[in-house]
Amino acid sequence: MDEALLLKGVEKTFRGHLSIGSHHVLRGVTLTVPRGLIYGFLGPNGAGKTTTLKIVTGLLFPDAGEVSILGQGLGDGSVRARIGFLPETPYFYDYLTGHELLTFMGRLLGIPSPRLVERIPVLLRAVGLLGKEKLQLRKYSKGMLQRIGLAQALLNDPDLVILDEPTSGLDPIGRREIRDLILELRAQGKTVFFSSHILADAEMICDQVAILIRGKVVQEGPLEDLLGGEIQFWDVTVRGAAGMVPPPGCSVLTRLGTQVLIRVDREEVLQDLIDRSRAEGASVRGVVPHKISLEDLFMSHVPGEGSR
Amino acid sequence: MKSGNSGAAAFQQVLALASNTFKEATRSRVFYILLAFAVCLLMFSSAMGFLAIGSIRRVILDMGLSTVSYFSAMTAIFVGIGLIYHEIERKTIYNILSKPVSRTSFLVGRYVGLMAVLLVNLAAMTVALQIVLSVFGSFTPRVFVAAGYIYLELLILTAVALFFSSVSSPVVSALCTVAFYLIGHTSSALPELLVPFLSSLWAKRLVIGLYHILPDLNLLSINNLVVHEIPTAPGFAMRALLYTVFTVGILLLAAALAFKKRDLV
Repeated sequence: MDEALLLKGVEKTFRGHLSIGSHHVLRGVTLTVPRGLIYGFLGPNGAGKTTTLKIVTGLLFPDAGEVSILGQGLGDGSVRARIGFLPETPYFYDYLTGHELLTFMGRLLGIPSPRLVERIPVLLRAVGLLGKEKLQLRKYSKGMLQRIGLAQALLNDPDLVILDEPTSGLDPIGRREIRDLILELRAQGKTVFFSSHILADAEMICDQVAILIRGKVVQEGPLEDLLGGEIQFWDVTVRGAAGMVPPPGCSVLTRLGTQVLIRVDREEVLQDLIDRSRAEGASVRGVVPHKISLEDLFMSHVPGEGSR
Repeated sequence: MKSGNSGAAAFQQVLALASNTFKEATRSRVFYILLAFAVCLLMFSSAMGFLAIGSIRRVILDMGLSTVSYFSAMTAIFVGIGLIYHEIERKTIYNILSKPVSRTSFLVGRYVGLMAVLLVNLAAMTVALQIVLSVFGSFTPRVFVAAGYIYLELLILTAVALFFSSVSSPVVSALCTVAFYLIGHTSSALPELLVPFLSSLWAKRLVIGLYHILPDLNLLSINNLVVHEIPTAPGFAMRALLYTVFTVGILLLAAALAFKKRDLV
């Protein structure tokens, strides 16, 4: 069995009282998460990412479809001993200290006390909270809560780590630390399945992604395949070319004094532009190639949402 | 959903959840304020015995046991109705039920934890009452027995509150649990009040049948017997214990079944 997680045709509708105001959240979600990879589950707010994750972790029940986790069905609750879950904006008992929380969660996981005594400092060090474990959680910052949440998700040394918006609301340093931790988990051979709407983070660390729009997976696959290797366009900065007329196929993006930023979308036009600049005594200060980004790919699936 | 737990693992989880619930209560200022309020109320109501005509000891016992009984019941109801609802509302339940913890273990753990809190509460009030009685040279060991029966009632009331908390909002749960409490303390009067006035045999049977369906919390109270120094009937303790075990068992089972398939949105 190569998949860590398999979802086939998963449907979910939230019904209001007396079935008034039904909300069809998941419309046949199908995806495959291979083992040992970092898999990004991307989508705008309200696309159904958290609902999908809650179904996988047993907090919600699907109306239809199949879910297989590490080769076991949803009905087998014991599979949850092999997964680690960090909910979106984790909420913990704020009267507990960081150490007490990890001890409590460890007892729920059935980890023997001697093993917990060894494991807790290791995890606290890994998430950068060693020395802060005696503080009550009500005194933790948002970033610290996210990190203690990650520590409790890793207590049982899980095969599959499920993270719901792990970098949401963190500062750049916090985001980088979480990204590094996720990469470290992959290096340990774990599968990481995380949801996010922060595309830059996903692009940096994901091996595979799925894009969920209005409850449907509209694209799924290895990031390299989805983004392709081809250059889409070049941005060329030319100085001393205030009066220069760019060749056809170019568009001027900005002019700042004698410096012009020009976008070129074909390689032969790029060469023509460089030759013409030199002929007119201008200097080419920079040529930046642009490949398709995850954001471009994402936005191509959400027409009308991009203008928000 | 199959829990996949062995019995020992489930027991450990229940203990962990109960101990966390106890910690939650004892680390809250509200717990100590309530406890102090209960003890003060008890002292005050006992002191009112001086103003009464008749035996001071009897009045202190009567008012003291009533205060202990009502205050414990109200605490059980109003803490119990939020036992599950607040876990869902504060989303703390997500971290627990995404682990290999069955929903039944979760319910039972919360229930056992609250019962431990109520036991401490009840013990403090009982000791306070006994101190007041001792001051007047009337140390009454039977007060501890009466407190034991009050605890049986708390076991039932908390199970009722837990059941409603697992299926509805705190307001609905509070209304339903208070209704249960009121019915439980008045249902025993139903046959006495109605049967003598009914001529039809079927109507009499209906009233008696209704009485057997409705909860009867007076089956668990010996407050009046203690106050008037009347011994309990033989088998009273066993009947009270069986009634409690049966009722709590049914309520916890119903709560577990209702909660088993609930979406935690």
